[in-house]
Amino acid sequence: MADQCLFDFLHMEIVSHVYKEQQSNKEQVDSKDGALCISVLESLGFRVGQGLIERMTRDSPSFKDELDIMKFICKDFWTKVFRRQVDNLRTNHQGTYVLQDNKFSLLTPLSSGKQYLDQAPKYLAFSCGVVRGALCNLGLESVVTAEVSIMPSCKFQVVIQKLS
Amino acid sequence: MAVCIAVIAKENYPLYIRCVPVQNELKFHYTVHTSLDVVEEKISSAGKSIGDQRELYLGLLYPTEDYKVYGFVTNTKVKFVIVVDSSNTSLRDNEIRSMFRKLHNSFTDVMCNPFHIPGDTIKSKAFDSIVSGMMVQAG
Amino acid sequence: MSRQSNRTTDSKKMNSELFTLTYGALVTQLCKDYENDEEVNKQLDKMGYNIGVRLIEDFLARSNIGRCQDFRETADVIAKNAFKTYLGVTPSVTNWSPAGDEFSLILENNPLVDFVELPDNHNTLVYSNLLCGVLRGALEMVQMAVDVKFVQDTLRGDNVTEIRMKFIKRIEENLPAGDE
Repeated sequence: MADQCLFDFLHMEIVSHVYKEQQSNKEQVDSKDGALCISVLESLGFRVGQGLIERMTRDSPSFKDELDIMKFICKDFWTKVFRRQVDNLRTNHQGTYVLQDNKFSLLTPLSSGKQYLDQAPKYLAFSCGVVRGALCNLGLESVVTAEVSIMPSCKFQVVIQKLS
Repeated sequence: MAVCIAVIAKENYPLYIRCVPVQNELKFHYTVHTSLDVVEEKISSAGKSIGDQRELYLGLLYPTEDYKVYGFVTNTKVKFVIVVDSSNTSLRDNEIRSMFRKLHNSFTDVMCNPFHIPGDTIKSKAFDSIVSGMMVQAG
Repeated sequence: MSRQSNRTTDSKKMNSELFTLTYGALVTQLCKDYENDEEVNKQLDKMGYNIGVRLIEDFLARSNIGRCQDFRETADVIAKNAFKTYLGVTPSVTNWSPAGDEFSLILENNPLVDFVELPDNHNTLVYSNLLCGVLRGALEMVQMAVDVKFVQDTLRGDNVTEIRMKFIKRIEENLPAGDE
């Protein structure tokens, strides 16, 4: 059983690696490259989310509806992946959900306060991908974004894409 | 022992299909395809049932003259179909359930193989050998 | 969900799966980014090194282990403490060279490779090469220069996974640490 801090170290190194790779071609990572890095991290997370949800839902009964799935994500999934439950779930009942985690585990290694606020998106991209991957495999296409105003508290916004 | 085992993606195309004997593959493609309609029907009717336990095992989908077709759907909407010979009366329901369980377990392992791209056909040796263990012996 | 009793083991195991799957996603991404296995192996080693130089602090803080007297003691600490703490497995230490400067870690079970099946076009990929970098980086921070490599790998058909570690030299304290 791998220790949690191994994952934390690996995640930080992956973020660092992705940004370094982009930087090796230019002097400074501009906003377009930043978006590319975020996208790479997000897609890594996506694949991980797909695999995790496949294992996690192997023996559970099927879900009633979208809200049932979101509750599962907030409780069981969040606990198993991010070591605690989501503190607050809000929805407009029209496919948009806001998940608030006041002590997001991937942000706790970075110090609290405003110091690293602008770095936070780099460390959230992977997690957004994990959530999107999990939802995708459960049949829900979504767009997942995250924002931080006070470390380590974090809000994830999930917008379910309706099939046209 | 099965004569055909198939894994169908949630978009309803096959991820894996194995038949014995191999020449019957086209015929089984058709059988499996038809069974998907029954699967859809069972899934949507299950949604309206009152009970809390919604089963993943769908049971006998439909019997044909020569074959019995069984279905199973995962929470990730992937379907497994097992076709057995009608003349095989010794195969009991809980044996079929355990075959699905083995398939499901092996499938989740495949999904966790980083070199497997979800949505691609399954090319895993481990999965192949689980399936081989459940097929009737050829010849 | 009425699985209360399994909760702790489940969550520990799930963390392990998160790590294993993340590592897998990293390896496949590197395979896409770089043209050949050799380059991927190098990247994994480099990344492992960067992790190792930080991991050692965490390890020393957790384990309260003093300075090792010799390489044999180092080997034991690596196998019985480090591997156990971080990967939950205890490799055996064997195949010591007569000079006592080289040994093997034998892993029956490597958590990094759970569920992994190497496709045929990656014959020379050392999938778990991150571990070599981690060991190298960590030991460098305690003034030991070592060479680490895989000599057997269950992913490539061997029965066990074998990591060979060779002591090169003691590093003087005032030399700057290498690499980024």
